[in-house]
Amino acid sequence: MSEPDETATPPESAVRFIFEYDGDDVRLVSQQRVDVAVTGFDLHQERALPPGHYVEVRGADGTPLAAVPVRGELGSSLEVFPEDPGEPITRTEVDRPHGAFTVVLPAADLAQQVAVLRVPPAARPAEGDTGPAPAPSEARARATELATFPVELG
Amino acid sequence: MTTSDGTVQGVTQIFGNQPRNRAFNVVLLAEGFTAAEQGAFDTAAAAFVTAFTGTPPFDELSPAVNVFRVNVASTDSGADDPASAGGTGAVVRTYFDATFGGNGIRRLLLVNATTALTVAAAQVPEVTTVLVVVNSTVYGGAGGSVGTYSLATGATEIAIHEMGHTAFGLADEYPYYAGGDETGHDHHPATEPSEPNVTIQSTRATLKWAWAVDAATAIPTMSNPDCSTVDSRPSPVPTGTVGAFEGAHYYHCGAYRPEFDCKMRNLSVPFCRVCRQVIWNRLWPLSVLDARARTPISVVARYPEHLDVFAVASDGRTMSDWWDQSVGWAGWFHVSGGFASPGGAGSPVTSVARYAGHLDLFVVGTDNRVWSAWWDQSTGWSGWFRIGSLVARPGSTVTVVSRYADHLDLFTTASDGRVMSTWWDARSGWAEWFQLGGGVAAPGATVTAVARYPFHLDVFTVGTDNRVWSTWWDERTGWAGWFQVGGQTARPDSTVTVVARHPDQLDLFTTAPDGRIVSTWWNARSGWGTWFQVSGGVASAGSPVTAVARYSDHLDLFVIGTDNRVYSTWWNESSGWAGWFHVAGGVGKPGGQVAAISRVAEHLDVFTVGTDSRVWSTWWDGSGGWAGGWFQVAVT
Repeated sequence: MSEPDETATPPESAVRFIFEYDGDDVRLVSQQRVDVAVTGFDLHQERALPPGHYVEVRGADGTPLAAVPVRGELGSSLEVFPEDPGEPITRTEVDRPHGAFTVVLPAADLAQQVAVLRVPPAARPAEGDTGPAPAPSEARARATELATFPVELG
Repeated sequence: MTTSDGTVQGVTQIFGNQPRNRAFNVVLLAEGFTAAEQGAFDTAAAAFVTAFTGTPPFDELSPAVNVFRVNVASTDSGADDPASAGGTGAVVRTYFDATFGGNGIRRLLLVNATTALTVAAAQVPEVTTVLVVVNSTVYGGAGGSVGTYSLATGATEIAIHEMGHTAFGLADEYPYYAGGDETGHDHHPATEPSEPNVTIQSTRATLKWAWAVDAATAIPTMSNPDCSTVDSRPSPVPTGTVGAFEGAHYYHCGAYRPEFDCKMRNLSVPFCRVCRQVIWNRLWPLSVLDARARTPISVVARYPEHLDVFAVASDGRTMSDWWDQSVGWAGWFHVSGGFASPGGAGSPVTSVARYAGHLDLFVVGTDNRVWSAWWDQSTGWSGWFRIGSLVARPGSTVTVVSRYADHLDLFTTASDGRVMSTWWDARSGWAEWFQLGGGVAAPGATVTAVARYPFHLDVFTVGTDNRVWSTWWDERTGWAGWFQVGGQTARPDSTVTVVARHPDQLDLFTTAPDGRIVSTWWNARSGWGTWFQVSGGVASAGSPVTAVARYSDHLDLFVIGTDNRVYSTWWNESSGWAGWFHVAGGVGKPGGQVAAISRVAEHLDVFTVGTDSRVWSTWWDGSGGWAGGWFQVAVT
């Protein structure tokens, strides 16, 4: 194969969102079409969402199209690094988390809504019971929707 | 102290040449550098590139990395340094409003993250991770979606550690929250962390990183004898040993890390092997796969809008990519650290979906043992585990059939050619390997099987006499003896492809010693037919014939021809066999395989390894015929 047909990959088929948050108040700062490959490393399309924060795009009927994790943000602590490499890294609590984060999601042409979700840890299992992971539907049922915004890419 | 306190001067790519839309793009932002000090930022950015690309595994992954510096001139130099946190009390006008003393801690160096992300996305829309370089020799930094670090010695380590969180989803591996003297961190909660490099599991079978643990390594490898404090003893095993070391994820006990030390535990030490593998799997999907030339590709449609593809990299890594109608191709990733045996055409990764949310994989490993892994939608990928003690023929194929959702039957060849089988049942687990009725396969021949009914199996191979042989199993009667299917002589290393268009019909395809593509059939009413050449077709030496039944009266065949082009033909009950035709201009490897699947009746997806060793695909659809060409299977 020497002449690839790349026409199957439309340009700018993804969308970058930048969000700002103050506690649980989340604001959509910007949304921008981008030509970025979103890999399976980030996509949480059908696997049960582990505990954490996610951004999910949805179609016209509210059907989830794709979700990616928000990493290292919306937490209630900050990491403090030692000047001496032999000293421990520590964490410090913050009273009210605030900051910003960005994610890139595929399916720009189908996306009608974008939501920021929080999936809490599952209930503590009985002693010694590691048990199976929750089914995807259970994880979704536990998710809290922090904010939802219309996707307006023009 | 806002964006009015400076100007964005422009962006310069200082490392890498990967297309931006398929790269790990690091953007460095200048903060607290005046217009006259931009040269110092350029020097700091270059120093970051040296440190970053010299840190394993980034030293090997640099072809997937681009680094950009965004020169931003601030009105003043440096950063705020509040006296209340032990600083100088300096207040300066800078673009990103950097300040030491976050949360009253001088080393905690914070910026306006919204401004940083907005500037980075405007300058490099494809940005992956953003780091702000602050013009101060005071030691400081912070993590989060925007990492910060100062010009103090060693501060680049902060940036690389923070990337572990924000870009790769790695957990902190240190066993304390505030240095070890804190309370409430003796025992980790009983909830499994989602990150790939920490766990509450302490048995070999349940470790997330079981694939990386040597059989001789004790699990747990190190246990904390006093959970009221951090275990400060030295490692009991050599540096680099992967095991389960208690004390991780901010807790003294009850959570485990993969190695004694790691950059996610301490700055200035390398990433552990598990973290390196995670980083590989973040960056690898951005690349194309360099595939082993003749190793068959396996493809599964768990449901009509989804494909899972499995191939083997040229270095033997077991690789997968998936496609979903809504998001496209996900990119190639290494499945649980597995490696396939290189003998013959190379052992393929075979796969089956017992139900829509589950995959089972099989391969002969580099130790020539049969290994399996599974994926489940609720838990993700398992590690590879060995099935029994069978020593398989190097490079042999493990054929898998799922007669029903709670059952698997495996077939392969032992090192001496014996045709071997085992099974797994949800109620009883794995059985021992056993030889099928004294059968011995020719060198290089595969064993194929089909389940026409949930209680019936038909098995085929090429025997040491180079004839096609078959046996069957029926729930009521057990295994039958082997019998020869007609007098056809086959290439000794050929595959007998079998398809059941309906439960009372079998169609077989294989290649004669001269490469002729031959077929026969069996029907419950008329018995076995005679072998015949399919439309005059001749295959490239070693190329197997792939067959798909889209309907009970329709077959599609695919093969690499003697000119190494991809060919297809079809059979329809009403019109018989068509002539062979060249598929969309495709050219494969000599002796290569063409994988094909019909996820809906009027659609075919076809895959092969091209002359450039990349995996290529094309499709046929009933509404539009064949696609105009082939596309490289990578990330969309």
